[in-house]
Amino acid sequence: MRIAMRYAGFYAVLMTLGLGILFWASSGYVDEQISTGLKQRMTELLRIDGKKGRESLIHALNAQQAIDVKYRRYFLLLGPDNRKLAGDLKDWPPDFNSVGQVTNVWIDGRLVSDQGDEADGYWPMIAETLTDGSRLLLAQSLEQAEELQEVILYTIILILLVSVGLALTMGWFIGQTLLARIDNINTTAQAITSGNFSRRVPLTGRHDEFDELAEHLNRMLMRIEQLLTGMRQVTDNIAHDLRKPLSRLRNRLEITLLERRDPTEYRQVMTETIEDADDLIRTFNALLEIAQTEAGSFRGEWKPVDLSALLEGLGELYRELAESQGKQLIIQVQQGLSVTGNRHLLAQAISNLLDNAVKYTRADGQISLQAERLSEGVVVYISDNGPGIPAEKSALVWERFFRLDAARSTPGSGLGLSLVKAVAELHGASVSLQDNCPGLRVGLRFLKAVDKA
Amino acid sequence: MRILLVEDDKQAAAYLVKGLTECGHNVTHAADGEIGLDLALSENYDVLVVDRMLPTRDGLSLIRMLRVDGNHTPILVLSALGEVDDRVEGLRAGGDDYLVKPYAFAELLARLDALVRRRAETPAVTHLKLADLELNLVSRKVTRAGCVIRLQPMELRLLEYLLRHAGQIVTRTMLLEQVWDFHFDPQTNVVDTQISRLRAKIEKDFDKPLLHTLRGIGYKLDAGTDAR
Repeated sequence: MRIAMRYAGFYAVLMTLGLGILFWASSGYVDEQISTGLKQRMTELLRIDGKKGRESLIHALNAQQAIDVKYRRYFLLLGPDNRKLAGDLKDWPPDFNSVGQVTNVWIDGRLVSDQGDEADGYWPMIAETLTDGSRLLLAQSLEQAEELQEVILYTIILILLVSVGLALTMGWFIGQTLLARIDNINTTAQAITSGNFSRRVPLTGRHDEFDELAEHLNRMLMRIEQLLTGMRQVTDNIAHDLRKPLSRLRNRLEITLLERRDPTEYRQVMTETIEDADDLIRTFNALLEIAQTEAGSFRGEWKPVDLSALLEGLGELYRELAESQGKQLIIQVQQGLSVTGNRHLLAQAISNLLDNAVKYTRADGQISLQAERLSEGVVVYISDNGPGIPAEKSALVWERFFRLDAARSTPGSGLGLSLVKAVAELHGASVSLQDNCPGLRVGLRFLKAVDKA
Repeated sequence: MRILLVEDDKQAAAYLVKGLTECGHNVTHAADGEIGLDLALSENYDVLVVDRMLPTRDGLSLIRMLRVDGNHTPILVLSALGEVDDRVEGLRAGGDDYLVKPYAFAELLARLDALVRRRAETPAVTHLKLADLELNLVSRKVTRAGCVIRLQPMELRLLEYLLRHAGQIVTRTMLLEQVWDFHFDPQTNVVDTQISRLRAKIEKDFDKPLLHTLRGIGYKLDAGTDAR
């Protein structure tokens, strides 16, 4: 509402200013018209005097007086001896002597021969000296100009009143309808600020800019709510997943201290404790790495990476591991593949995928690492023929600490794929999970123009 | 060896001083960057362990000052910052190696050892030898007791690194970084299988074991029968 009133006020000021200028310009125009009229009439009268003689001039002057009843001009013709020859002005104005130019001169109403219906004031007038030394003076009654200006002034005041009234009405109208909708948004925002995250901006269904804004805001709110929920879930997961090993570690130390034991036993317990601590550290590091990668504020090295060499190096490392478990790892990597990004993060992500593949594929199973150039970029596939991921769980595997093996009998932190996804997103790559019939086939698709986001 | 430890965390420093001293090293501790720089400039050390975040003068600035001054003592940078490429920054400043907290003490020890030995090493060797195992760096040929052993390129690089650090403990991360140039933490110990394969090739037909595994720490290529 405040905005509407301010808008109306501003509009009124603007209107007043504009109409003021109009008034000033129009009165200037009226003055101009009067002075041109006087000059023209004087020229005509001079011509009559020169061609047809004094009698004709006096005749013409008197004839004019008969016509001009309203908006009249007054005249005075003095002979060379300053004797009045004709005219309806009683006397020559005392301070007027300029010749040939229209001048505004103070006139006392009594100078005019008519009975007192003319006002005192500055009258525009013009004078000329005739050939024989006579002087002719033409004066325009102010009545005409004043009347015209009055009409303009009244019109302007009328326009001003109507338009300011309209502006206020419009302002009130805007306040009632449009601004009320902004108030809606404000109320929603306030509700959300005070903790009610489920609130949304109501839509009117009019599909206008306000609905569009509301939709954008609602979408943003939904995203924030999702992120918050995700965050809460992650925090819960961290608490849950880290508390278990920590309490286990603590219990072991406590129980060991209960009795006096021989040095080898102490040594054994301490070695185990160090291993557990290392696992915890590894989990924390992985979490930190995911968080930093996901934050999108990556500030590490970013340059073209020889993906072919990287994949072959990693493949070779994991081939040994696979073979030592009786599994087979086939490497089919096209030469000269390159992506722009961070080598260490890419290595970590691919290694996580290879690690999973080797871990989950069956004892005589086959794993393959493939990479090839596509028209729009590079694709890397890591396939295995392990148990795969059931379709209904495929959306969940990217979440931190999610394990398909609910009993958690296989080693692993449940963070590997979360990091893969974070690294992929940082590199503008898409990750897909496909059924390898049987098994899992993970595809990493890097688009050509990979820029640091 | 003489070690200068520049670390402001009193507890961490106390553990390190105790651990390093027990391992037979001579450790001086400086609690902030300025003291650290003064000591490093005035005394002679074999290696410096410098924390990145220090009061009065941060670790990287200390290293830069030393390098500008022409001091080339090997430096290991310790950091609590976990980001992947903080190490690049650390190395660029003039550090020789980089370790992220929390780290294993054995890892620190192995890396310090490697740093000091690297410096002492004479560059122009044409072949590396340990007992009857020999690697010719020019022909890339490996022989043990005169018998030729065929190794793949990666195995050769691994053996070369181990030979260059013969008698020293090398950790899995050190191998992954130095031999494969990977700076990540594999979930499974992929290095173990590589070592097993190399061990099979260089020890299979011979009596004396050379490549020893130190549980929870790393490996050691050593002619002595006992690893520890």
